[in-house]
Amino acid sequence: MEAARNSLHITFAVWKALFLREALARLFAGRGAWFWLLAEPVSHIVFLMVIFSAIRIHTVGGIDTGTWIMVGLLSFFVFRRTATQVTNAVNANQALFTYRQVKPVDAALVRGMLEGFLMALVTGVLLFGYYLARGISTPSDVLAVLGALTGLWLFGLGFGLVMSVVGELVPEVARVVNLAMTPLYLASGAMFPLTSVPASVRSWLLLNPVAHGMEAARLGFVSHYHAVSELSLGYLFGSALVTIFLGLALHRRFAVRLSTQ
Amino acid sequence: MIIVEDVFKRYQTLHGPGKWVLQGVSFEIPPKLNVGLIGGNGAGKSTLLRLVGGVDQPTRGRIERRCRVSWPMGFGGGLQGSLTGRQNAKFVCRVHGHEHDLPERLEQIQAFAEIGDAFDEPVKTYSSGMRARLQFALSLAFDFDVYISDEITAVGDAAFRAKAASAFKTLASRASLIMVSHGEGTLRQFCQAGIWIHEGRAHWFDKIDDALRAYKESIKQP
Repeated sequence: MEAARNSLHITFAVWKALFLREALARLFAGRGAWFWLLAEPVSHIVFLMVIFSAIRIHTVGGIDTGTWIMVGLLSFFVFRRTATQVTNAVNANQALFTYRQVKPVDAALVRGMLEGFLMALVTGVLLFGYYLARGISTPSDVLAVLGALTGLWLFGLGFGLVMSVVGELVPEVARVVNLAMTPLYLASGAMFPLTSVPASVRSWLLLNPVAHGMEAARLGFVSHYHAVSELSLGYLFGSALVTIFLGLALHRRFAVRLSTQ
Repeated sequence: MIIVEDVFKRYQTLHGPGKWVLQGVSFEIPPKLNVGLIGGNGAGKSTLLRLVGGVDQPTRGRIERRCRVSWPMGFGGGLQGSLTGRQNAKFVCRVHGHEHDLPERLEQIQAFAEIGDAFDEPVKTYSSGMRARLQFALSLAFDFDVYISDEITAVGDAAFRAKAASAFKTLASRASLIMVSHGEGTLRQFCQAGIWIHEGRAHWFDKIDDALRAYKESIKQP
């Protein structure tokens, strides 16, 4: 008989197995599953670009409208996709908790990692495609863009971790949050610049960490962008830290409830 | 050796805690003894198996496993429908820390399951018998001391049952089986001892025939 593996070994083995399994399901389940990964953000971006060019708005906040839409939407999708994928992780992997090595939190974390990886690819491909098509400048501060996207990814992970527990315990909450995703899309400043909103309303909208991340990504992309003056990356990362901690704590507390029916 | 001590279990329902499924179950399963679980539908057999397999936790009480226990092989659980048999097998091997000898394990699983080319088809296209074959083959690929089977022999055909039984005969020197089945023949074929679950309690019988008799007498009463 082989020596018993230690907990860390088991966890890494489980993560690797889950990652490969999830990647397979996400990229190759169904015809052209990988195509739809790209198609969703592209359709949003093209739709908004058509609208904005129809109403002849060529610059937003001092930068080219296309760049504004593209960078903003891609960063929004980094958050939203990570959040929804992680939220559904526990439910979708219920069958695998038959193996007691696999814990609900493993499924959630691995989905977060996979989605981060996929969104990095998607973002890279689309930005490169946009660069080839329109020849518009490369990001002025690559690190700032990466920082903003990482913050959004981490916040999406934290949000998803919390929701994956809450949604299992109180399914109604998951429905409400699903409903709230569309207003959030608008309120984060994906379709209109937050600078155009009166300051009194803006202070409310900026309670949403996603808005900070999107503005920071645009500012990183074009340094002369007129971002909202209240922009704070610290707020985004702080929110990410709090939600991740809360999510992990909830997973720890409700570990048994999550893996049983 | 598996020790179950005063285990209570009830499930959480949408309307608060449900009724007790198990109430004060205690027994010890010594090593190398095949045990059959007997009881009516809904008596708590599968619940008990899931508790012993460590997939679920008892509401109260304690379960100690002083050996390697397999996952509960049963309907549906543990196989992802959209992935092929091979992909599922790879996942299970990786989870159990057999990344290094993956090809040999896969070969062994494929050979025991005997489901032919279907091994590379999605599991959702399998019949229940094919699923059972795959699950059994999967668990036999690892060196557990105790294998837990929830009714999966019931859907296998005669050839598969015979093969599984002979596999357990050869394993008998080092491993044992805990199984749920409604087939008397199957229970007699595989098990020596029996546990009869009745009204939330477990009754231990050293001979499976005695357990079967107790169960039959209980259903005779009007």
